[in-house]
Amino acid sequence: MTFSWKRVNAILQKDFKDFSRNSAVSIIIFLPIILAAIYGRMGIDSLQVHFMTINMAFAMVGTYVQCCLIAEEKEKNTLRGLMLSPASTLEILGGKSLLTFVLTIVVVFFSAYLSEYRPASMGIVAFAIILSTLFYIGMGTLLGLVAKSVMESSVIVLPVIGVFTMGSFITAWTEKYPILKVAEFLPNIQLFELAEAVEQGAGFVQVFSELGIIGIWIVVIFALTVVVYRKRMVD
Amino acid sequence: MSLKFIQAEKQVYDSIVFPAFDLTIAGGEVTAICSTVNIREQLIEIILGRSLLSNGEIQYADEKKLAFFFLHEGLHERLSVQEFLKFFHQLYQSKQSIEEITRLVQLDSKKNKKIKDLTYSEKKRAQLAYILIQNAETYIMEEPDQNLDVESKRIFIAVFNELRKLHKTVLVLTSHLETAVTVADKIVRLDDKGLQIVQTEEEHPEELQNENGKESEAEEKIVQPIRFEKIPTKVNEKIVLFDPPEIDYIESTEGQTILHIKGESFPCTFTLNELEERLYPFGFFRCHRSYIVNLQKVREVITWTRNSYSLVLDDVLKSSVPLSKTKMADLKGMLGLK
Repeated sequence: MTFSWKRVNAILQKDFKDFSRNSAVSIIIFLPIILAAIYGRMGIDSLQVHFMTINMAFAMVGTYVQCCLIAEEKEKNTLRGLMLSPASTLEILGGKSLLTFVLTIVVVFFSAYLSEYRPASMGIVAFAIILSTLFYIGMGTLLGLVAKSVMESSVIVLPVIGVFTMGSFITAWTEKYPILKVAEFLPNIQLFELAEAVEQGAGFVQVFSELGIIGIWIVVIFALTVVVYRKRMVD
Repeated sequence: MSLKFIQAEKQVYDSIVFPAFDLTIAGGEVTAICSTVNIREQLIEIILGRSLLSNGEIQYADEKKLAFFFLHEGLHERLSVQEFLKFFHQLYQSKQSIEEITRLVQLDSKKNKKIKDLTYSEKKRAQLAYILIQNAETYIMEEPDQNLDVESKRIFIAVFNELRKLHKTVLVLTSHLETAVTVADKIVRLDDKGLQIVQTEEEHPEELQNENGKESEAEEKIVQPIRFEKIPTKVNEKIVLFDPPEIDYIESTEGQTILHIKGESFPCTFTLNELEERLYPFGFFRCHRSYIVNLQKVREVITWTRNSYSLVLDDVLKSSVPLSKTKMADLKGMLGLK
């Protein structure tokens, strides 16, 4: 089976049309943007707030939309038709991920723009954001494989939104509850630390450990997705 | 291109779903397998490769050349018919013309409508268009015309003719003999007893008359040793012939004779008296003024009161047939009881 961009493209187009007409899911992409605009107008200019909206964009677009796209194919019984077609699973998931990826980047860009976040080094932050997007899409794919319907996917995605959006505040409690130190390894907090370092003028070499940890998260989530996929597709 | 079942056999937990059978479906031919829902589902699972045959094998050209028309298929409801077909056109990198196919299933006036706004029958036609786009060699259709409106049934039959012309292999899986008779050239019945070929004849009014003429001649010369022993029934425009041993019982209601076979009923043009005479050598028995029963199929004789009796048959439905008092004596005689 050869990997064909034509088929990926077909799936991307179909999913885009499908997604844009599904207002219940597509409306969610405006939430981070609106929130960012409000914070921006209020003149709040702390890194923590910037990254709250960006992380919200990750969780709501990268994870939730990806999860819904997959779960809906299962719920509507259209996945069987796709699986019987010449398109391989990689192409099906690839087309969907590509759509989510583009959407996430666009939403993150507008959130950052509207909340007036101007990073000191665009290159490093952009690279870290692209890496994080991969992680959240992997997470969305994993949840999409587990969820059986759109309804279920919107429930199981809630803890993800909770942990990764509000996660930046967990660090405030680490003094009181040392166990929460583990949370510092979460990709969203790593991203935040990276952004802080960048503001202090750090280069690629100084933030290598943060990028490395995000990279490890990506590997872990993709490995988990493959395992779950193998298990789910047997039955 | 053909689809071949070779000594295919399936058992689940020691019970036979279907015993070994051979069947070859040639190109340019529509074959129908008439079976229960269980067997139909098992067959589809096996062809899909999700479940294995207990024995034997199924041969076909190429897995990618199979197209499936499922009874329960999800369509991408938010896309319009045109977009939906275009999507699969790209996915299969098909060379078929979308317009031609839309016209064939007569959805061209609705091609900009979203699929969720179509009626059930139109959705089924969209589904049909989508499997035509695949340009497969072998088409497997599960209950193609179930719950369809008359218009769509007509379109389906036209599409079947088109597929025949293109020399495609078509396998129809259905539980209704009526569907099978309407669409297929070759009909087989598959159940836990094995595969049986159901013979059909196209109805040609003139020939039919001739046949009737011959038969009445034959009846005049009563000593003719060889007689046509199949019982014809009429389903739509076709005549289906049944072997007498297949028949469970025959009933006459409101002047119409009805054959009961495996829980299905088929109208027959003969009167009960004619059938009684024809079927007597096969062990049939006139047990009531309006019933003839196949004695081989009788399991129990139930006595309700001294004057009323019933025969319980060994068929799928465990049907019971009334037995009149006068006939009870005859039956006892036939059974060798006093």
